[in-house]
Amino acid sequence: MIRDITIGQYYDVPSVIHRLDPRVKLMGVLIYIVALFLIRNPVLYIVPLVVTIVLYAAAKVPASYFFKGLRGIILLLLFTFVFRMLYTPGDVIASFWIFNITSQGVVKAIQMTARIALMITGAALISYTSTPKALADGLEKAFSCFQRIGIPVHDMAIIVMIAFRFIPIMFEELNLLMDAQAARGAKFSEGNILQKCKGVITLLLPLFMMSVNRSSDLAMAMEARGYSGSHEVSRMYPLRYRTADYVSYVLLALYLAAFIFIRVFL
Amino acid sequence: MLKGENISFSYNQAGAEEKAVLKNISFEIREGDFIGLIGSSGSGKTTFVKHLNGLLKATSGTITYNGQNIYEKGYKLSNLRKEVGLVFQYPEHQLFGSTVLKDTMYGPRNLGMTDEEAEESAKSSLKLVGVDESYYYASPMELSGGQKRCVAIAGVLAMKPKILVLDEPAAGLDPETKFMIFDLIRRIQTERNIAIVLVSHHMEDVAQFANRVWVLHDGTLKMDDTPANVFAKVDQLDEMGIGVPQITQLTYELMKSGMPLPHAAISVDEAAKMLTHLLRKGANA
Repeated sequence: MIRDITIGQYYDVPSVIHRLDPRVKLMGVLIYIVALFLIRNPVLYIVPLVVTIVLYAAAKVPASYFFKGLRGIILLLLFTFVFRMLYTPGDVIASFWIFNITSQGVVKAIQMTARIALMITGAALISYTSTPKALADGLEKAFSCFQRIGIPVHDMAIIVMIAFRFIPIMFEELNLLMDAQAARGAKFSEGNILQKCKGVITLLLPLFMMSVNRSSDLAMAMEARGYSGSHEVSRMYPLRYRTADYVSYVLLALYLAAFIFIRVFL
Repeated sequence: MLKGENISFSYNQAGAEEKAVLKNISFEIREGDFIGLIGSSGSGKTTFVKHLNGLLKATSGTITYNGQNIYEKGYKLSNLRKEVGLVFQYPEHQLFGSTVLKDTMYGPRNLGMTDEEAEESAKSSLKLVGVDESYYYASPMELSGGQKRCVAIAGVLAMKPKILVLDEPAAGLDPETKFMIFDLIRRIQTERNIAIVLVSHHMEDVAQFANRVWVLHDGTLKMDDTPANVFAKVDQLDEMGIGVPQITQLTYELMKSGMPLPHAAISVDEAAKMLTHLLRKGANA
């Protein structure tokens, strides 16, 4: 159900992963995903799976969060699996009606599904272990070199941070609205497509209005506290690498190197 | 009309420990009732009122409407939603129609009224809440905060409920608009002859309008009595973090310091009568 989506939720516990520099975590996600795409032999997906489980354990994020991330894309995974299996040409191992299942298809299906599932669960960990602010700071610092060639990195980082911050608020408001419209006799799960669309409008319109109002309030509140969008902002907690961060970089480099090696030489 | 027995409710959250929000609440709403529901923040008021029209289903216990169990298989909750109108906090946020009239017609239309019936019902409700005809075809977004709230209340009223539940209808309004809303609620009750459940932090208004007061504390219904009896228990309420009307506090303090008043007053008029009576007696003696 739409009501229990966890994307963008920070899971607040003290852990090694939580304390890592956000730049390390961003780079980590990048390397993790690149490595996923380097894998050709499906057996190797065990490695990122184990890594993900270990990281979840190290971050003290409960296993239920691991599956919550998957629940939202279960349909996507199912479709990917079924269509990959049915529409890959190759050696037929089973067939019924107009469908042929090929051995290559099964391999491809497992590959694609595992890739997407691991990508989502791995990437979700960064939002469980970093606050939107830390992520935005990390992004800004990592890309600050582009500021010099005229790309407004700082503004973009602020936009990303605020967008993340608004996700849970909007879900809360959506819940309120669904209750309020249900109290006025709306039935969101009944009726034909047209009626369902109409039902969605009664939610989207007020939600949109509230968002617009809230952003203008937020803009005013930020200006009132002296935010001018200038880039020479000093930080209360400047990002500084610590030993754990350097160690993580080395581990990440080894991880990537191992997957490149396997891809090229094996 | 609406009767609940041993209602308990807890939110089912994966990962989190199950926490009972409502514990064993029994209640009854009778015809012509004006019930004030009070309780400190987090006492479960909003969760409780969501049970009254079946938005939330109790974990255990039964609710009957005119003798019919609403949790029974085959009972249509949409029927109950028609009978029990629920106005949420900040109801103006739920407005979405392109015109005030269309928005007000949304509820009755959902109930299956024809366009003519819905329009008639909407117009009479808008009239009752005091929205001028010149606004009927304006966008709800152009109205002031107080007007928006009136339109939102009319949207629920247009469904012709027998019981109207209002969750903090005056929250965030200036005193004048607040007074207007309470005046409106009383007018709704007398003109439509429906039962009202009013969730409010304004004890003065609860004391003035309600004929019964429910005190909700920590998920249990601690008191269900007349305003005079409830507000007489100043110390008990204070322990639950609930205030009493200022005049009650004043007369209560006077009694404590030795003034021979019969009981704590719940309205200024009552206090004035008591005090003049006492002063006359003093002058005669």
